[in-house]
Amino acid sequence: MYSSLVRLQNTFGFFTTVAFCVALLISASDFLSDRAPTVNVLKTTQLQVVKGRADYYSSKKEEYAIIKFTLDADLSSLFTWNTKQVFAYVTAEWPSAQNNNATNQAVIWDTIITAPSSDHLGNFSPSKLKRLRKSAAGKGIDPSRGKLQIKNQRLKYPLTHPTGKLALTEDVQLKLHYNVQPWVGFLSWDQNQDWGKWKALKNGLSRKFTLPAIKTKEQAKKKTTTGGTRA
Amino acid sequence: MLSSLGNPRQAAAQLMNFGLILSTAFMMWKGLSVISDSPSPIVVVLSGSMEPAFQRGDLLLLWNRNLFTETSVGEIVVYNVKDKDIPIVHRIISKFGTGPTAKLLTKGDNNDSDDTKLYTPGQNYLVREDIIGSVVGYMPFVGYVTIMLSEHPWMKTVMLGIMGLVVVLQRE
Repeated sequence: MYSSLVRLQNTFGFFTTVAFCVALLISASDFLSDRAPTVNVLKTTQLQVVKGRADYYSSKKEEYAIIKFTLDADLSSLFTWNTKQVFAYVTAEWPSAQNNNATNQAVIWDTIITAPSSDHLGNFSPSKLKRLRKSAAGKGIDPSRGKLQIKNQRLKYPLTHPTGKLALTEDVQLKLHYNVQPWVGFLSWDQNQDWGKWKALKNGLSRKFTLPAIKTKEQAKKKTTTGGTRA
Repeated sequence: MLSSLGNPRQAAAQLMNFGLILSTAFMMWKGLSVISDSPSPIVVVLSGSMEPAFQRGDLLLLWNRNLFTETSVGEIVVYNVKDKDIPIVHRIISKFGTGPTAKLLTKGDNNDSDDTKLYTPGQNYLVREDIIGSVVGYMPFVGYVTIMLSEHPWMKTVMLGIMGLVVVLQRE
């Protein structure tokens, strides 16, 4: 009963129990911190619909939208000691022609905001890593990284639709979302309703807009050729 | 130490004990599977395509029921590509339509382009059925044991041997 193997086993068992309980407590502490993310500005600054190949690999020509937007948001309250990263993303959403539910949703832009202690885990360029390290020297938590101020940002992923048609689409809205990745525990996303100390994301929707008509053939051609030379 | 071998009753009890441990583990796994409605409710991250959120060896807890909302954009899901048996953990970046036929497109946070190239040729989108769960919980490092075991098969033998020895040698 008191062989060293049994002792080793008990020690390991005790260690895992304690580690698990501590992890559970850390994860529960998330619910005790206030979250009040707000969006001050989210608006489109340029809209365009072009017909062509949405990226270099796509085989078919289709209509795709180019959107530029301005975003001013404050997600700093999402950064606590258990925040590993916040993944912020902007989607374009619009109802389908058949029914009124918002049934089309696509991410047009996203960004990974790491906590200072997870900077080294990201696949960042050396210069960006250096800048991040410098900005948060000596800090374990850096809520100021949650302040997003982006002007005239071009979308990261061309907006397309399986039907290949996008021009004159009505009631399109941009929406800011976020996903909080903890060091341990439960993942959480932006909410539409208040939930205890976690408030809903305020003002996260842009005004509704209609995508413009497709650009004429000559203009579109010019666009694709310049795109080609840039590549 | 090996006195139990001389006592058939005790040997049988120990065999039972060993069986009990195995079946408890199996029942817990299957029970979790029923609760979460996922064939594999806990998965280990095998690649770095979701870095820095998930590293290799991190443990993910999956949930595959749509109680209040549909699986939607921004969720991190584990899916199986048609005819391939490697589960992939990536984020949904677009969704067109609703219900089981909604067209879903995924992308790894750390990848430059979406997953169209990972899908079976001719398959441009996923549907809800391809998904075996959405990530709801996260536990770092713990799953690294299984990566070690699958990459160094001899460790499996050693570990099983140790476990067997411990059970046989330990007296109640």
